[in-house]
Amino acid sequence: MPQIPIIMPQLGESIAEATITAFRVKPGEEVAVDQEIIEVETNKATMNVTSPCKGKVARLSAELNESYPVGAILGYLEATPEDAARQGFDTTVLTKQKAAATGDDDARDSVGDKSRQTVQPTVRGLPVPAHAAGASFMSPRLKARMAELGLHAADLAGIAGSGAGGRVTIQDFERFIASIEKHKQSPASSMRIAVADAMRRSWTRPIATVGLPIRLDALFAHRKASSPKPGPALYALRALAMALAENSAPAGRLIGKKIVHPSSIDLGFAVEAEDGVFVPVIREADRKSLKELLGRYNELIELCHQRKLPVEATGGSIGIVTNFGTFGLMWATPIPLPEQTLVLGVGAARKAPAWDEARGQFVPVMEANFTLSFDHRFLDGGAAGRLLTRIAALLNTPEVL
Amino acid sequence: MVPNVAGGEADPGVSMPRDTYLKAFRGMLLARTLDDKLASLYRTGKIYGGVFLGRGQEALSVALGLSLRPGDVFAPLIRDLAGRLAFGEPVIDVVRTFLGSSLGPMRGRDGNVHRGRPREGLLPMISHLGAMISVVNGVLFARRMKRLGGFVGATSIGDGGTSTGAFHEALNQAAIEKLPLVLVVANNQYAYSTPTSRQFACQELADRAVGYGVAGHTLDGTDLAACLRVLGDAVHRAREGQGPQLVVARLLRLCGHGEHDDAGYVDGRLRDSTVGRDCLRVAERVLVNQEWGSLADLETWRAQAVRQVEEIVASVQREPTPDPFKEDWRALASAHLVGTYDEDKSGDGPGLRST
Amino acid sequence: MSITYLEAIREAQARALADDPRVFIYGQDVGAFGGAFKATKNLAREFPGRVIDAPLSEDAIVGLAIGATLEGLRPIIEMQFADFSTVGLNQIVNQAATLFWRTQVPCPIVVRLPSGGTSGGGPFHSQNLEAVYAQWPGLVILTPATVEDAYAMLLEAIAIDDPVIFCEHKLLYYHLKAERLPTESLPVGKARIARQGRDLTIVAYSAMVHEALAAAEELAAEGSQIEVVDLRSVRPLDTDTVMASVARTGRLLCVGESWPWGGVNAEVVARVASEGFGLLDAPPQRLNAKDTPVPFHPHLWAAHRPTAGSIATAARKLLRQ
Repeated sequence: MPQIPIIMPQLGESIAEATITAFRVKPGEEVAVDQEIIEVETNKATMNVTSPCKGKVARLSAELNESYPVGAILGYLEATPEDAARQGFDTTVLTKQKAAATGDDDARDSVGDKSRQTVQPTVRGLPVPAHAAGASFMSPRLKARMAELGLHAADLAGIAGSGAGGRVTIQDFERFIASIEKHKQSPASSMRIAVADAMRRSWTRPIATVGLPIRLDALFAHRKASSPKPGPALYALRALAMALAENSAPAGRLIGKKIVHPSSIDLGFAVEAEDGVFVPVIREADRKSLKELLGRYNELIELCHQRKLPVEATGGSIGIVTNFGTFGLMWATPIPLPEQTLVLGVGAARKAPAWDEARGQFVPVMEANFTLSFDHRFLDGGAAGRLLTRIAALLNTPEVL
Repeated sequence: MVPNVAGGEADPGVSMPRDTYLKAFRGMLLARTLDDKLASLYRTGKIYGGVFLGRGQEALSVALGLSLRPGDVFAPLIRDLAGRLAFGEPVIDVVRTFLGSSLGPMRGRDGNVHRGRPREGLLPMISHLGAMISVVNGVLFARRMKRLGGFVGATSIGDGGTSTGAFHEALNQAAIEKLPLVLVVANNQYAYSTPTSRQFACQELADRAVGYGVAGHTLDGTDLAACLRVLGDAVHRAREGQGPQLVVARLLRLCGHGEHDDAGYVDGRLRDSTVGRDCLRVAERVLVNQEWGSLADLETWRAQAVRQVEEIVASVQREPTPDPFKEDWRALASAHLVGTYDEDKSGDGPGLRST
Repeated sequence: MSITYLEAIREAQARALADDPRVFIYGQDVGAFGGAFKATKNLAREFPGRVIDAPLSEDAIVGLAIGATLEGLRPIIEMQFADFSTVGLNQIVNQAATLFWRTQVPCPIVVRLPSGGTSGGGPFHSQNLEAVYAQWPGLVILTPATVEDAYAMLLEAIAIDDPVIFCEHKLLYYHLKAERLPTESLPVGKARIARQGRDLTIVAYSAMVHEALAAAEELAAEGSQIEVVDLRSVRPLDTDTVMASVARTGRLLCVGESWPWGGVNAEVVARVASEGFGLLDAPPQRLNAKDTPVPFHPHLWAAHRPTAGSIATAARKLLRQ
């Protein structure tokens, strides 16, 4: 008699395991298909594992109060070949799987030469763990429908799939679309969509962030004495440019097995607009001093406000600077654009206590958190930290900028 | 049950009008001239595919063609140029098909000897030997069903073709139905490189006629007079309702199987024997001996044949070849059954929707 | 009044002989004997001189028919079994199928092939050769699955100016019955939706249509609605109807009684995969007979070809994917 495994199902999206809280049946009991047989608890709810087939409970190998991952075998049912076939189970494969799993010689022999000589497919319609390829598989029909609606795989994150391997079927998808129709909707601007697309593409990389509080007293003194006055972001941009001019490796890109170094230190800076962000770019920021960059910097900001930023003034930057401190924020982890690997974030300046060893007391200083977000495939914390530290040193000697 | 008529040596004394013999001779001459021209076009690379000549078979073939009447049906085979022309095939059809002119009867869809005009009783052969015989049977059978009479169907085949199942089935079928079929076997001693000793074990191919229950005739295929006499007789008997006539002629293939073949395997002794005589030369000698034509006449007739052929070849060479973009690429007569699924997956090539 | 599939074929031939003096029937044992399956019973008597016994020569039988079309006649050839038609293959595929393309002269023969397996038939009385003939351009290939289609499509076959290979299924001869003959029908080249559904499309033809319908009944009881498409003709093949069905269901299972390699199933799957890729919610599947000659013993034969049970199993698997 074929042995049908009872497998921990995918109980919700992002659920990876569940704990056995109760057994509703005993070995030897007859069960119907889809009958609730094991109660489990996830970190969200209590749910039930149902019987995959009509048959008799042969063995329950899971233990009470133990956790098992999605896809783990919790026990076995014994079913007739007809009932098994009715649920679409291939009994030769089942016998072989059981034999392999339990070292059951009889079961292995009964399948014998036939299974050794045939090629077994990897997915046979049985639920598989969440990390298997099946969970993210989109059929051609689903892709076509998504293309029709202008949706991406990222938009499907909120849907639990009911298909083989946890994949989202066309029925799951249409239910999802129907359900969002019931919510209030407003149109997204083209800028919003463009930013969404850029962030989606950027996020396919592993982005990490390091941070450092940097003393700004010297900078503010320098600024006070300057006319016209450069913005803090420009100081940061110039410091980043000089640091990269000394060592351009951190701004390279990893393409396959090669590191592609930047040919020109072009840096962008974020300018907030109504519905998104402009990123004008200053070319060869390492070749001009802070004073020399100021005019161009202000000009670019003005163009952004007038929404007249020309295309040549955007794109092609190897890193950007963003001043989230203007919103009063102390900390942020900005995401680089898809074609870059670095974002230097500037937090809000504030008065903070700093320990003065010479005087043996805390003294008030002007300080802001600076963060450096980077592509972790290419840079590690140490290199990122060294870059940030060099920027801090440069900002503390603003006359060299 | 049926008389077995044997042909004898060339006997110029047998009563045959000069005009009959001369017409046949000039038909042979035209065929030989055209064959020679095709061979030379082939050697200069002007012909696509193979060239198959009827050199050595002209007497037999022209005699068959002349014995038929308009309204008869004729399925010639590969060495029947003389017979085709005698039956009425225009020289230009021959040249157009070989040179691949889009104006030829096959319009480039088939070539060289696979040509004909079925509605005019000249059936285009397919390559599978023996297959045309039952088709001729079908035409004869259908005419009988339509209560037509007085017609004959004729077809040629070689010694090799008599080994096919198709030959056997068709001759048997014609005999059962007592059709007015004249089946001419040109035993030219070779089927490609295979001599007759490897083709059949009976002494004489015409002996098979008894086995099928049909009349059998044998003759010397190099003797035009004998050919005219025997074939005239066989066609007459068929037309009179005496059933199928199997005619077996002895001759020698005087060319390669195709012009790509040098026939180096042919036994030299055959070339030197009577079976190896060139029927055209034999006929020329008869004409001269009978004083039906002088050497000067022969020269004149030869020159006329050459001129006729050259003119047609020259004009056909200026004609257009098939344009794949103008082809309708449709193999079904029923246009409504050619569907909307485009099966032309061969890149950007022209292709009609197919089913 | 009820009429069998075989009787419908006989009725169609009788009607054709009566309506069109150009029609005649030629084949082994078709005359006084009425044919091996009695498909021409009494016709020789009713239409003297028009139903003629042929010698045991499939090549010459087809050749004669081709010659007859050159005289404007419209012959129906009965091959005793589809399996024997290969002896006449050359005349069918190299003479009849090429005649129009080479000469613009149509060749309106109909070659009736008693096809398909019956219990105990064995390797040489059971073959389905529609895919073999479909390979050559110039042929029309019909595979009627119902009594009505056996009648109407044979009449249309005789009227078509091209060589038609008419694949009648022997298992349906005496088992399939209808109340009456149709007065109208779908034209050749259009497939029929034999059963409507929304979960999965089965494309089948000839006897397999009935197996597919039985499988669909079984699955209906389990809550799955299977759509069954009866191709009716293999060439021309109604791609549009198949594509529209797959657009509705997203899943395709092609079922055929012939062998796996390059069969009608393969052709349908190829078309849907290349022209309707975006319609598929799961990989398209085929179910064929096993890749061996057709076995003689009924136990082996029962497992050799698709049945309602094996079709249902394949459908269930596909539904779960």
